[in-house]
Amino acid sequence: MTTLRTPSKAVTSFVVASRYMPVFLAIGLLVIVSSIWVPAAIGPVSLSAIAPAGALLAITALGQMLVVMTGGIDLSTPGTLTLAALIMVGVSDQLDDRIGLAMVTAIGVGALIGLVNGVLIGGLKLNPLIVTLAVGQVIAGAVSRYVRSFPVQSAVPTTLSDWADTRYLGVNPVFWIGLAVTVVLILALRYTSVGRRFQVVGANPVSSNVVGIRVTFNQILVYVVAAVLYAVAGVALAALRGNPAVSAGVPYLLGPIAAVVIGGASLAGGLASPLSTLVAAFFLTGLNQMMLALGLPTALQFVVFGLVIIGGMLVSGDRIIKGVERVLRERRGPRGPKAESDIAIESG
Amino acid sequence: MGLLVALALIAAACGPGTTSTTAGVTTTAAPVTTAPPGTTAPPGTTTVAAPLSEYGEDINADPALVAKALGPVTPSEEASWNIVLASISRAHQDLDQATIDKAMECWRNKECDTGSGGDLVMGYADGGGDTVNVWRGVSHMEAILQALTYPEIGTIVSTAANFNQDAAVHTNDIKFLIQRGASFIVGYPDFGIALAPVVSEAEAAGIPYFSFSAGYVGLPGQEGALVPGQDYGGVVGEDLCALGQSFAEVLNTGVGTGKVGMLGGTPGNALTLGWQQCTTAALASGVELVNPPADANTTTGDTYWVNQFALDAVRGLLTSNPEIKGWVYEYSDGLFTALDAYKELDIPVQNITVALRTDEQTLFCDWVDRAEATYNIWYSAGGNFQSRTGVTAAMLKTQGADVPGQIIVPHVMRQVSAADCNPNRVNAVVSGTSLAPDSVLALMFGG
Repeated sequence: MTTLRTPSKAVTSFVVASRYMPVFLAIGLLVIVSSIWVPAAIGPVSLSAIAPAGALLAITALGQMLVVMTGGIDLSTPGTLTLAALIMVGVSDQLDDRIGLAMVTAIGVGALIGLVNGVLIGGLKLNPLIVTLAVGQVIAGAVSRYVRSFPVQSAVPTTLSDWADTRYLGVNPVFWIGLAVTVVLILALRYTSVGRRFQVVGANPVSSNVVGIRVTFNQILVYVVAAVLYAVAGVALAALRGNPAVSAGVPYLLGPIAAVVIGGASLAGGLASPLSTLVAAFFLTGLNQMMLALGLPTALQFVVFGLVIIGGMLVSGDRIIKGVERVLRERRGPRGPKAESDIAIESG
Repeated sequence: MGLLVALALIAAACGPGTTSTTAGVTTTAAPVTTAPPGTTAPPGTTTVAAPLSEYGEDINADPALVAKALGPVTPSEEASWNIVLASISRAHQDLDQATIDKAMECWRNKECDTGSGGDLVMGYADGGGDTVNVWRGVSHMEAILQALTYPEIGTIVSTAANFNQDAAVHTNDIKFLIQRGASFIVGYPDFGIALAPVVSEAEAAGIPYFSFSAGYVGLPGQEGALVPGQDYGGVVGEDLCALGQSFAEVLNTGVGTGKVGMLGGTPGNALTLGWQQCTTAALASGVELVNPPADANTTTGDTYWVNQFALDAVRGLLTSNPEIKGWVYEYSDGLFTALDAYKELDIPVQNITVALRTDEQTLFCDWVDRAEATYNIWYSAGGNFQSRTGVTAAMLKTQGADVPGQIIVPHVMRQVSAADCNPNRVNAVVSGTSLAPDSVLALMFGG
């Protein structure tokens, strides 16, 4: 009989946490580089200025993170966000007393888009990349038609834009919304059965099905929740910008995916951290701000951004985990059959 | 300034034909000339035809409209100026309801039948679009209104790439217009030189391509650039280098000594590249550009003419250079949004000089509201009407007229005053210099 060793709780925690370390190292590096080249970029005023942009990216990235946790991907983010932002303009019709109706409509339409994605992907088992790309195109068509129903570059009600101009504890309210969404997700994923099911379904849908978890329902639900988050970001964007454009969602196609990847999520599904995704969103926003502050040419900005994403992939959570596993295995020496410790590590 | 206004109005009213060097007057040796359509010369008299009249054009544009579109300018060289005047003379402001309805139909739909029974098909290819940018929407409408004055044009087909950052989208739009059988194409090529192959394809198919707003298909001198008038129909727009020098003059005078920031549109577009090159070279030694272009073929401060990106760019530059004392940019409304960066960074909008091309009312009315004596704006003209000039130039070309490859639109820098804010404008983002009648603008933007 083989004696199986169980790793200490500390080792397991270290291994799990190690996948999220690169983003914290990256933001630390960004702070160091900024303090040398553009010290003003890390001052309190500058950070306060980019807080809403970082929060918007974080909210969309958190939605994308939930989808990635199920092993999927969502390319309908820009369309959903744009449509929600424009609904805030079109439905509110610049009237303060219609802001509530506009918000409900925007988020409701977002949920509907998520439901369509979820049914096609979770229910009919279609490829998420193709489905969400196609749904994104359909939304783009709808946006194109919808914007003709009101004057281009129209504004949201002044009460809404005035709210976005306020400061709570010196920071824009959109930042606090982003932070609140992050905290809710952390708590939900860690302490609620629904949240834990998200992770289990993503890590191993077959086993989940065997133990009675409604895999299809969870997959549909995750796309709905993600789309609602995109819509929330769209509402916040409309408030921030006042007169959102049709192109408002363009930066949110690759940005959220990059944040999820750099945040250490497993693209194969399963583990992800809302906190590290939030940090990754702010890292990307800060990096963009630094490049703009340096006045770098657009071409170079694209190159740097692309290299950072590649770097994020190179030190992705999965690779970190494998690296840590390898180191631990070598320290333990060669063994026979797959040990329980390995299983424990893999299921993290 | 008053003298300039008077001279410009006189020049506009009389047209180049009254000057001693104009072709229309000095070619009296010709035994027979063509009278304007619809007129008959008395027997036994020799008639001196007005320039372009043989092609059905009238260069006696309403001086008030010329002044509205351009300000108190000095006319450009004659061949260009005549086409500019001919295009403005068709910019009727008192349209009947049927024309307004038809214009709206054409503006809202990808294709429309003008109802004239004409054989020509006008293709309109915009790298932006009506639904993404007011300036683009107004320029599109001005082109449509101009086309409706030509009974030869029976169909208008419009495409919009909606600022898609993939040049292939705009390229495919132009390919579509070629296949659709356009007789000529008017448009704004946001990607400039990247569109050279498809513009050449259009020209090879016998479809002249005219761009407006200085939308060169590659700035002359750039590697791979097409030569306007030779490789494609032509380009309507300001003398970009002169425009850039005018911007620099504004900054040199207004800033004196200090830092300035420069913004532009789509990376590498010819309009931005053209003026930025000359602004950079003409800045005084005491004026420091915080974001100089990387090289002579690169634009700086790229914003894609999208307000959000303009805000990001200004925020970035202000973060590292809070003491910036001047900005230079084409797009007035983009700067209006970008000024939010001052609020975000707790920097007062003071001691700032701005040099702009367009004149959207949003920024100007915001300037009035701020009532800050040390914040001054200078602008040239929105230039929406240049799409009209593109249509007229294309129509002249289809009739075999000798059209210059570069139709130069004169410019003059004007300081914004309270009179430049019209709070009753149908849409605050519409340029004050647009020649689209208010009755049409009301339908376009009135909700």
